[in-house]
Amino acid sequence: MSGSRARVTAESIAELLAQCSREGRAVSVCGGNTLQGMGRPMEHPHVTLSTLDLREIVEDAPADLTIAVQSGITLRALATQLARHSTHVPFDAPHAADATVGGTLAAGWLGPRRHLYGRPRDFVIGSVAVLADGTIARAGGMVVKNVSGYDMSRLYVGSFGTLAVLVQVNLKTLAAPGHARMFHLRLPERTRERALAQLSRLTVTPSAAFWIHGHHATLDGDDGDEGRMSILLEGAPTVLERATRDLRSAMGSAGVPETYVIDAGARESFERIVDAYVACVGERSVTYRIACFPDDVLPRVDACSALSGRFELRSDAIVDAMNGDLIFRVNDLDARSFGAKIEMFDDALHDQEPQAIVIAGNHRSRPLLAVWGAQVDGIDKMRALKAQFDPKNILNPGRFVGGL
Amino acid sequence: MLHERLIDALGADAVKTAPEDVRAYAFDAYTDGRPPAAVVLPAGTREVCAAVKIALDCGEPIVPRGSGTGLCGGAVPIEGGIVMSLARMNRVLAYEPARRRARVQPGLINLDLSRATARDGLFYAPDPSSQRISTIGGNIATNAGGPHCLSYGTTVNHVLGLEIVDDNGEVFTTDVDRAGYDLTAALVGSEGTLGIVTAAWVRLMRLPEAVRVWLATFADVDSASDAVSAIIAAGIVPTALEMMDAVATRAVEAAFAAGYPTDAGAVLLIEHAGFEDEMNAYESEIARIAREHGANSWRAARSAAERDALWAGRKGAAGAMGRLSPNYYLQDVCVRRSTLPKALHAVEEIAREYRLTVANVFHAGDGNLHPLLCYDKRDAKQVAAVIESGNEILRMAVDLGGTVSGEHGIGYEKREAMTAVYSTEDLAAMARVRDVFDPKRAFNPEKIFPAGVRCPEVVPA
Repeated sequence: MSGSRARVTAESIAELLAQCSREGRAVSVCGGNTLQGMGRPMEHPHVTLSTLDLREIVEDAPADLTIAVQSGITLRALATQLARHSTHVPFDAPHAADATVGGTLAAGWLGPRRHLYGRPRDFVIGSVAVLADGTIARAGGMVVKNVSGYDMSRLYVGSFGTLAVLVQVNLKTLAAPGHARMFHLRLPERTRERALAQLSRLTVTPSAAFWIHGHHATLDGDDGDEGRMSILLEGAPTVLERATRDLRSAMGSAGVPETYVIDAGARESFERIVDAYVACVGERSVTYRIACFPDDVLPRVDACSALSGRFELRSDAIVDAMNGDLIFRVNDLDARSFGAKIEMFDDALHDQEPQAIVIAGNHRSRPLLAVWGAQVDGIDKMRALKAQFDPKNILNPGRFVGGL
Repeated sequence: MLHERLIDALGADAVKTAPEDVRAYAFDAYTDGRPPAAVVLPAGTREVCAAVKIALDCGEPIVPRGSGTGLCGGAVPIEGGIVMSLARMNRVLAYEPARRRARVQPGLINLDLSRATARDGLFYAPDPSSQRISTIGGNIATNAGGPHCLSYGTTVNHVLGLEIVDDNGEVFTTDVDRAGYDLTAALVGSEGTLGIVTAAWVRLMRLPEAVRVWLATFADVDSASDAVSAIIAAGIVPTALEMMDAVATRAVEAAFAAGYPTDAGAVLLIEHAGFEDEMNAYESEIARIAREHGANSWRAARSAAERDALWAGRKGAAGAMGRLSPNYYLQDVCVRRSTLPKALHAVEEIAREYRLTVANVFHAGDGNLHPLLCYDKRDAKQVAAVIESGNEILRMAVDLGGTVSGEHGIGYEKREAMTAVYSTEDLAAMARVRDVFDPKRAFNPEKIFPAGVRCPEVVPA
């Protein structure tokens, strides 16, 4: 809470929200501010509520493969705690040292390993949330299967802090994969499609696979105009050895010239790519996430690149080849020319990709962009939910889809 | 008037009104309710919309129904009204093997989807024991689990989007990849109280390269449950980890001759799906933990046929209980996995106190207990003992930090037990969701929420 020295607790949040509800004052909820590039900026005068004080491990139950944490704990601190028992929760959000568990969940972040391990929301087995009127509501529990009433936790997760403030989440954990290996491959244009097509045929499914074009300032490797691929494999050593042979053979047959393998630092290398999802170029870039399918993502990258070219904008792309996510960043040499083009580009992009959402970018034109893409089906139900849970519209007002 | 309008809109063959026809829809596997005023069997989304509008016009509640295999009265028309059977909407509407997904109607039988996709090396992971007869729509309503959800997750993890008919008879859709509130997650497990699911995109998984099934036997349930807790505590989560006690195993063997030893106090059925390269190491580790906790035998299924027989026995276990008593009551609670030994011990004590035979056959790896209490419903004392012992099992689970339903849902049966798990404020938050989707309580009334506490009353001022 800005301007206050008292440590934030669930009770103090309840008090604050009840007061703000009574007074009709807007509250901006934030965690580590690592995903502040998502959503529409707050326009109302507001109170800022930081969850960073809420960083306790409420209950670590390794024998149950569960853990309950306060929402302000960072992903790194959570990972460190879980590593003590050789477990993990693969949220895969950028800047893990600063990103909070609550913020990552509230933002509905979707990481690249979800095709293998599940979506972040699928790890949530319970929660404690403070509703806009100050009610503290619990949902779920510490058991891994639970069908007792509506799944309120999953509803709060991904609501961008507009339905409730998460103060605690209970998570199920997984045994951490013993070993990791990262492959970096140069990917000439002629081999790109064949190489990506090979991924679905591998007997050992990669934990993550990226096709990366650009991002030279944030990621290693100078591939000139060619793209490159980075593939993460995880598992037992015997499985990794076999997967390595299969991968080399598959990429060889696709005409990929070389494969560079790293074991030490494989996970750090993976994290750098995840960090690059939200890397900005000064105040003259905007990054979109476009949900595609692995089998149609490449033509859609090309179409987006062609579009940015038409506007004389520079572009970088990260393709999550396992899930089909396209992370597409546009920028320009100077902020003024960028500002002149980005609105028109945003319109044109949404004609082409109606569901494109903005995940990063701090350019001043952001309020004018369709940051959540086209209007979504079910928006009336969402508005009704917002009216039920936050009738005075105090929680992150206007920041989410359709002005929620 | 109601009947005529329904027949006009859906056709005579899609509307049942004769008392002998509708009576069959007053039941599920738990109990019976009031015979409905009519049963409708829509052929598609349009007919669902029409039926919902007519029902609302006539002030009749709507109870959606899959195959009626639920164990908590979830599909039972407590207030009569219209039962909407989705059984005829049983088609696969779209199948995209390369994208590992399918769009299905709610009446599709669960196992039929895996059968249809096996040729492409794909399967639909949620596998409740009723999967040969239960529908995907019913599974969505209860967020159904099954033995393999230990590793693959329950139904909600496999639903990518829904098409729903709302309380105005209008259609809306959800999509887990679209920005906005996660309406999919709110609707899965809502037991038909928020709308009628008319189609679902579901995720398909790649069939594993290798599957191994092992059987470990123990002198008693205590040591077997210790072994389960130790396996999980070691960070090992097999694809399935099931337990049966001696009472259950003997009944299963008598019914199916599936290959279970009848002289063991408890058996663990363990499955791991993965890569051939890792199987031996995996087996060694689990077998070691099992032996350390008293396993007195360990064997691997040697063939797919042997594996299938063991699974058929396990999934048919509830049916086999007919050999033990005329009736059985299957309870469903979930506890923390580390408290499994305590929970099983408590179940045994409760059964002893009420002089009931109990068979335990359950998803041990999840901590999801299914005590089957054997009784004869012609004996009023036994019926009373079953009801009271069932309630004691619920209280025990809550006392151990668990919950009153792991995978079968709350339905009509357990709605009073909701207050043991949740506070008034917690329930009020759920009631807000109900108020958005079904303010008139037209969909499946008298389910989930405790009786006598109408939703407006639990919403704080």
